[in-house]
Amino acid sequence: MHNPYIPLLTEIKDIVSENKVNDLKTLELVFKKEEDYKAFTYIPGQFAEISLIGKGECPIGIASSPTEEDSIKFTIKKMGSVTTAFHNCEVGDIVGIRGPCGNGWPIDEMKNKNIVVIGGGFAFSTLRSLIIYMLDNKYRNNYKDITVIYGNRDSGEVLYRNDLDKWKKRNDLNVILTIDQEEKGWKEKVGFVAPVLKDVSPSPENAIAVVCGPPIMIKTTIAVLEELNFKDEQILNSLEMRMKCGIGKCGRCNIGNKFVCIDGPVFSLAELKKLPNEY
Amino acid sequence: MDQKILMKNEIGKLYIELAEEYNFYAPVINKGNLIYNKILNPDEIILDFYNSKIPPKEILFPKMETLFEYKTDGKNIEEIIERKDLDEYNIIFGIRPCDAQAFMLMENFFALGDIKDNLFLKKKENTVLIGIGCNIPKSTCFCTSVNGHPFKSDYLDIFMIDLGEKYLVEGISDKGKNMLEKLTWLSKSTKADIQKGEELSKKAEESFKTKLDVKDIEKILEQSFDHPIWTEISDICMGCGICSFLCPTCTCFDVIDENDQYNNRGRRIRIWDTCQFCLYTLHTSGHNPRDSSIERCRNRILHKFCYYPKNYDMLGCVGCGRCIQLCPVNNDLRKIIEKVNKIKEEEKVNA
Amino acid sequence: MGIESENKEIEKNLRDIARNLLQEKKVDAILGYSKGTAPLSTSPIIIRHIDEVNKLIWNNLCYMNLAKYLVPRIPQLKSPKGEDLKIGIIAKGCVGRALIHLNVEKQLNLDNIKIIGISCNGIVNRKRIEREIGEKEIFEVSTSENNIMIKGKDFEKKFSFDEYINELCKVCKVKSPPKDSELEDIFIGESREMKSIDDDFSDLKEFESKSPEEKWQYIKELLEPCIRCYACREACPMCYCNLCFVDQNKPIWFGKTTDLSDIIIFHLVRAMHLAGRCVACGACSSVCPMGIDLNMITRKLEKLVKERFNFTSGLNSKFLPPMMAYNMEDDEEFMLEEN
Repeated sequence: MHNPYIPLLTEIKDIVSENKVNDLKTLELVFKKEEDYKAFTYIPGQFAEISLIGKGECPIGIASSPTEEDSIKFTIKKMGSVTTAFHNCEVGDIVGIRGPCGNGWPIDEMKNKNIVVIGGGFAFSTLRSLIIYMLDNKYRNNYKDITVIYGNRDSGEVLYRNDLDKWKKRNDLNVILTIDQEEKGWKEKVGFVAPVLKDVSPSPENAIAVVCGPPIMIKTTIAVLEELNFKDEQILNSLEMRMKCGIGKCGRCNIGNKFVCIDGPVFSLAELKKLPNEY
Repeated sequence: MDQKILMKNEIGKLYIELAEEYNFYAPVINKGNLIYNKILNPDEIILDFYNSKIPPKEILFPKMETLFEYKTDGKNIEEIIERKDLDEYNIIFGIRPCDAQAFMLMENFFALGDIKDNLFLKKKENTVLIGIGCNIPKSTCFCTSVNGHPFKSDYLDIFMIDLGEKYLVEGISDKGKNMLEKLTWLSKSTKADIQKGEELSKKAEESFKTKLDVKDIEKILEQSFDHPIWTEISDICMGCGICSFLCPTCTCFDVIDENDQYNNRGRRIRIWDTCQFCLYTLHTSGHNPRDSSIERCRNRILHKFCYYPKNYDMLGCVGCGRCIQLCPVNNDLRKIIEKVNKIKEEEKVNA
Repeated sequence: MGIESENKEIEKNLRDIARNLLQEKKVDAILGYSKGTAPLSTSPIIIRHIDEVNKLIWNNLCYMNLAKYLVPRIPQLKSPKGEDLKIGIIAKGCVGRALIHLNVEKQLNLDNIKIIGISCNGIVNRKRIEREIGEKEIFEVSTSENNIMIKGKDFEKKFSFDEYINELCKVCKVKSPPKDSELEDIFIGESREMKSIDDDFSDLKEFESKSPEEKWQYIKELLEPCIRCYACREACPMCYCNLCFVDQNKPIWFGKTTDLSDIIIFHLVRAMHLAGRCVACGACSSVCPMGIDLNMITRKLEKLVKERFNFTSGLNSKFLPPMMAYNMEDDEEFMLEEN
């Protein structure tokens, strides 16, 4: 009888500080038991409940792609008691992991479509998972044009610089970076995500827009997408909610009759409009 | 299977026979409160009662439950220790049909999806529900309004009718029938017993003072999420946990890690939680989708009468009336449903 | 005058005052009590129109302390723009004390409050009556002469009023809101200026005569049924913290479980947080679903504060509560005692 509340155990292999103010760290975890990799088969967009047993558990989006075998990555922002404890971890510490949770990005429905990935701030982690997945040799031909628009407050906040550098060198996707205000040495775009998106003006024809970021950015971005004639079914959102169990049992992450941890966190705008405005 | 008779003075005998293999839970009075407790002495059992204060859900979904225990090496976790008591057998003696229906609703919920709450489900599987029909429903009971009945045996393993000095006993599920077969000393019932049982059932059914009109409630609630009525309905709600904790169908919980650093061990537990607490949906960022009693009160009503029906095609309330009896500010569910139904009438008038 | 006729008069007076205040637009809403639809209950009510005035009642089951709805101000008592509405609040003595004390703690601006004072004749100990009635259903509760009449399914029982009101009401010395001379014009109806309370705390003699082991046993047995529903905390007008100490997690101070140790520590620490602040309204005990009566702890705290700091909460706004003020004359014998 499987106790769904018991985590699998992993060990921290590497810790990377992602931003200048050092409140965003990417933890790279390896399972203690080989067979647990199979038990933890995931798709981009899913999250996991990771725990420091004794301190607590929290839901964090999976930043690695399933194509990056041998380890799982999570980018954690230092905000509350559990995330602070994660920031005080060292390589070799044991981290519990339960999951994968949630529905993930609909990678099958997204096949043969142009994908517009729009991310803001540190919400970019599950978008990294999606992009690396789509760029993988096995899957790249499943998707058509890939456009990535990634905005941040300032250059110190940009995550995954190594990955971004690699992506910029490729010719099978278009990466546009932007920060809110001019900065010395910043050669990319300047401006909020919404006006930059308007500039780029991707076509809604056979396209899916994947949006992830702080509430205000999502609001303004969706407004622009609607202007560009993207339909509600073409706009995908990843929501956040306070969670405890991650498996739809503790009750707290509900929006109407749906649970963000099992029916989401990915919802299309069409689905969201049917749900009560309580998130 | 033929119905049997259990004399009230034979309950001690029943207890002695079953208590070896089963944890025997029955209604007892503890500090003035009638609750279901594991009994050590059958004389403790109370047979003359309406319903318990704390619903029997606390036997299978306790106020505090260990999810797992663990040992550390001082810094990192070394070993996770699983629960060992989930294989124990339980009897809940004297459960009312409404609370048994609530167990069914809980089972639906905990079994939904690929990942099931096996802690609850395993215990429920190992539990025999011996229910007693309600000869005299309380004036605040309304099970007949929500697809229940004071003599509904569907969700029980064994159903008993109180005939005065004795119980008319019927095996309902296979689990129940098997148990009764082993109790060979139970006397046979007579036609008169069965007839009296039927009369009591009818009398109980006709005695309900509270009748809720929930015919269109799911639809009305869905359409009135932003209606100003919720400001009025929630104005005196204090935001305590009484309605949820004492509701037989409420299942929300919080998860807490308790670390004993001096002994290199600890446990992860779950405790009862309620959507009525202000911290329930508070994000670490400070954002709270349910910032006031208006949203929280609305969520509870919608969950029982709109969201649960949408997911499971049946109402999430069993009509036990505990919330009506025990709400400290008397925010009466019957008045709330009435006000919600009035929205439909208002709209018909305005149309 | 019998209890019943007293109640009728109090009710008539408060309705007249409420009607007047609404008519002259001196208040936007009246916060009072309405008839309960469950046994031994009443329901707080907010009325805004004159034609609702007859919903206001007064009886001996008005156990809630209405001041709790003002701090923090519930959205229903604010205008659509978010400004505090002008409220007329039906105030028995302890409600008045709570309002003054909240004003002293700078949590409440009494400028837009009208205190409709009534002289409370005592609140029925609903949990004690429930326990004694046991597993019988109560239909009707009334008072006549000096008795509480309980009528139910197939039974009728009489309880002596003086014996079956709340323990705190038995020793209450502040039956109507203490009139604070600094804030005279907000008091309507009954109120009385009070500088201090004359209380010999003789009701504590039995508890105080217990040995420490017996006292600990008392505490354990009293608090054991607690289910951590926090109704006591939510009903208390002084428990207005945005984040209660039990809910804090940076760090986690105390456990939230129903382990006896966690239960005891919650109640005792909450009691300590109420030292010099509790107004002895008894709402906490009236709302507890498990019938836990905190009166002994409340009384003991009140006695300690009176003895050590000569302070009683909520009588006037001149004196600061002991936990808010330092006085050079404060007795420090617990710190400086030689042996």
